Amino acid sequence: MSVAGSAFTVALGLSAAAAVAGLAAPRRTRPLLVGLGTTAAGVAGVVAGVAALGGGSFSAWLPDLLPLAGVRLALDPLGGLFVAVTGAVAVCAAVYGVGYVAPNAVEDGSHGDGRAVQAMLPLFVAAMLLVPAAASVSTLLVVWELMALTSLLLVLAEHRRRAAVGEAARWYAVMTHLGLLVILAGLVGFAAAAHGESFAQLRAAAGGMSPAVRGAVFATTLLGFASKAGVVPLHVWLPRAHPEAPSYVSALMSAAMVNLGVYGVLRVGLDLLGGGSRWWWLLVLAAGAGSALYGILQAVVAVDLKRLLAYSTTENMGLVFIGVGAGGYFAATGSRVLAGLALTAGLLHLVNHAGFKTVLFCSAGSVLRATGSRDLDALGGLRSRMPVTTALFAIGALAASALPPGNGFVSEWLLLQSLVHALPTSATATAVVMPLAVAVVALTAGLAVATFVKAFGVGFLARPRGPGAEQARESPPSMLAGTGLAAIACVALAVAPAAVLPGLSRAAGAALGAGAVDSVHGPVTLRLTGFAGSMSPLLIAVALLAAAVGALAGVRSLVVRRARRVARLWDCGAGPMTARMQYTATSFAEPLQRVFDDVLAPETDVDVTPTAESAYLVERVKFQARVPDRIEYRLYRPVLAATRMVGEAARGLANGSVHRYLGYGFFAFTGLLIVLAVIR
Amino acid sequence: MLSLLRKIRATGRVAEPAPPRPAAPGPDRAVELGGSVQVRHVDAGSCNGCEVEIASAFGPVYDAERYGARLVASPRHADVLLVTGPVTRNMEVALRRTFEAVPEPRLVVACGDCALNGGVFAGAYGVVGPVSDVVAVDVEVPGCPPAPEVIVAALRGLTGR
Repeated sequence: MSVAGSAFTVALGLSAAAAVAGLAAPRRTRPLLVGLGTTAAGVAGVVAGVAALGGGSFSAWLPDLLPLAGVRLALDPLGGLFVAVTGAVAVCAAVYGVGYVAPNAVEDGSHGDGRAVQAMLPLFVAAMLLVPAAASVSTLLVVWELMALTSLLLVLAEHRRRAAVGEAARWYAVMTHLGLLVILAGLVGFAAAAHGESFAQLRAAAGGMSPAVRGAVFATTLLGFASKAGVVPLHVWLPRAHPEAPSYVSALMSAAMVNLGVYGVLRVGLDLLGGGSRWWWLLVLAAGAGSALYGILQAVVAVDLKRLLAYSTTENMGLVFIGVGAGGYFAATGSRVLAGLALTAGLLHLVNHAGFKTVLFCSAGSVLRATGSRDLDALGGLRSRMPVTTALFAIGALAASALPPGNGFVSEWLLLQSLVHALPTSATATAVVMPLAVAVVALTAGLAVATFVKAFGVGFLARPRGPGAEQARESPPSMLAGTGLAAIACVALAVAPAAVLPGLSRAAGAALGAGAVDSVHGPVTLRLTGFAGSMSPLLIAVALLAAAVGALAGVRSLVVRRARRVARLWDCGAGPMTARMQYTATSFAEPLQRVFDDVLAPETDVDVTPTAESAYLVERVKFQARVPDRIEYRLYRPVLAATRMVGEAARGLANGSVHRYLGYGFFAFTGLLIVLAVIR
Repeated sequence: MLSLLRKIRATGRVAEPAPPRPAAPGPDRAVELGGSVQVRHVDAGSCNGCEVEIASAFGPVYDAERYGARLVASPRHADVLLVTGPVTRNMEVALRRTFEAVPEPRLVVACGDCALNGGVFAGAYGVVGPVSDVVAVDVEVPGCPPAPEVIVAALRGLTGR
C-alpha cells in the first residue's frame, strides 16, 4: 500500500479510536484523549493528502462494508488537497478544543465535554476526510450524510445554554438535508444514465451523454454543493449555525467543511462531467460574485463577532467560486493555461481561507470564553488583557482583509491576474463578464478591509465597553497553541506561497483533466506562466517591515530629542471620558450602511412613551436598529409561511377518526387501481 | 454660487485701514511665538457681551487675522487662552484643565472687566473670582464690553505685527 493509503487508513483508525475514547473515557481525561486522537488523525490526514498531492494515489474497494454497493475509496491530487486542508484544520481545532471544553470562571457548566459531543468530533473529522476520498456515488452520499449528521450534533452541543442553538440547528438540518436531496437526485440520475456508479464508470460514460442530461446533472448537484459552501442565496444556515456552534466546531465547519462544497463542484463538474458548456461556469461565476458581495456587505454591518466571521466565509467561498467558475469557463473556451491559473488561484484562496478562518474563529472563541460575549459593542480593551489572542486575531484579520503582507493578498492577486489576462478577447461573454468579476473582487477586497478593521479595532483595542471585557483573562495554553499553529500556517502561506503552488497546480490539473502545468512558478518571485506578471510576497513583506521599523525609529528619535511634558488627556475639561464615548461596531459601519442602504435595507424602530400628564413630556424612548438578512426575509419567509399554511390545511384532514383514515386508505387504493387500469 | 461671487466682487474690501503698529512690546514670552498666535477662547461665565465683540474683532471689518492672530478649536492647537467672564464655580476646573492642555510657551489674555475683577458679578454666589485667581494672567483687556479695536490692539501686542 502506498504512503497515501496507509496514512489515510491510520487517520481513519485514529479517528475511530478517538471516538471510542470519547464514549468510554471518564470526564476528566476525555477531552485530552479525544484531542490527542483527533490531532494525530489530522496529522495522518495531512500526510495522506500531501502524499496524494505528490502523485502517490491509492484506491480501495471494500465490497462488504456497505450492503448492495460496497465502499469505494480513491485519492488523487484533487482529493488529496482537500484531505490535507481538512487534516490541517482538524489538528488546530483539536488542540484548541482540549482547552475550550475545560470548565472556566466566566461561563458555568461544561462547554461540551459530554460523551456524545466528544465522540462526534473525531467522527466529523473522519467524515470530512472521507468525502474527498469517496470514489463512487453511494460512498460519497453516505459519507456526505455522515458529515452532515455529525456536524449537526456538534452544532447542538450548547443547546441547553441558549435557545438560539436549537433554531440554528433546525435551519442547518433542513438546509443540509435539502442539499443532500438535490445532490442525491443529481448523482443518482447521473449514475442511471451512465449504467454504473463508480466514478471511473461515470467519467467514461459522461462523454457520450446528451448536453441536456449533463447540464441537468450539473445544475442539480451545483445547487446542493453550493448550499454546503454557503453560497448566496443558499447561505442562510451559515450565519446561524456558525455563531451558535462551539468555536472549534465553527472553525472546522467554516475552514474545512464548506470547502467540500467547492470540491463537489470541481469533482462533478470538471472531473466527472469533463467540463461542459460555458453557461455552467458562468452560473458558478455569477453565484460566486453574488456571494462575495452580499457576504462582505452583511459582514461589514454585523455586530456579532462570530456572525461577522460566518458572513466573511460566504464572501471567501464566493471568491473561490469566482476562481472555479473562471477556470471552468476558460477550460470550456479552450484556453487551458488561463484555466489552470484561475483554478490555482481559487484553490490557493481556499487554502488561505482555511488558514485565516481557523485563526479567526479560534480567537473569537477565546474572546467568547473569556468575556462571555460575542457582541462587538460590548467588547474592547482586550489588547492588554489578552495580548496573545489579540496578536493572533490581528494576523488573521490582516490575512482576511487581503492586504499585503497577508496571505489573502497573494491569492486575490492571482485571481485578479487570471481575470484580467482573459481580456484581450473577441468573445462577447468574456468581455462582459470578466471586467465585472474584477470589479466585484476589488470592491469585496475594499469592504473586507473595513470589516476587519472594525472587528479588530472595536473588538480588541481601546477601552472595554462591558463588564465581561473588563474581567477578561488570557486563554489556556492549548487554545493559544491551536490558534497559533494556524497563524504560523498563515504567515508561511503569506511569505512562501511557492511551497504549496506546485501541489495546487497538480490538483487543478487533475480537475481539468490535463497534465500538471505549473501556472505560477518561481521560488521567491511568483511569475505567471504564459503571461506577463510577477509579484514577490516575501520581498513585499520585507519591504513593509523595513518601512514600518524605519518609520517607528524615525518617530522615536524625534520624540526623544525634544523636551516632553506629561499632560492630562484632553477631555474638553469635562472630566473622565467613559467607554461609551468610543466608536462602536455599529457607529463604525454606519457610513457604509448608509451607502448600501438600498441593498441592506436596515430596519430602525423608535418607540416614544409620553408621560401620563402630557403628550409633550417624554418618559422613555426606545430605539432599535438592526440589519436583517434580506434574502432570508424575501426568499425564505414566504416559502416557510406557505409550507405552514399547507401543513395547517392538511391538519384538517386528520381529525383522529379511525373510520376516516380507513376511508383514505380505501379511496387511495381504488384510485390507484383505476389510474393503473386507465394508463396500462 | 454665482450670486455669491458677484456679491464678493461688488462688496469689495470692508476691513478698516490698519492702525499703526503697536509701539509698546508685549510680554517677553510673546516674542517666542514669532508673530503667529493661535488663540483658544474660553467662556468662563461671561454674559456673552465680550463674545460678540470678539466675533467682531475676528470678523471682516476689524479682521484680527491679518495681524497673525487666529482662533482655533482646541487648546492643544493654541498658544494663547482668551478668557472672558468671571470664573464661575462650574468653570473653575475646566479652565484650569484647559490651561494645562495648552502646550508651552503659553499666555493668558483676560478679556473684559468681569475677567479682570469680576465686574458686576464680583462677589456673586456662583463666582469663584477673577481669572487671575485661577490661572496667571499675562495681558489684560479692560472694558465692559471691550471694543473690538481694544481686543485687536491687545492681540497685536502679542503678535508684534
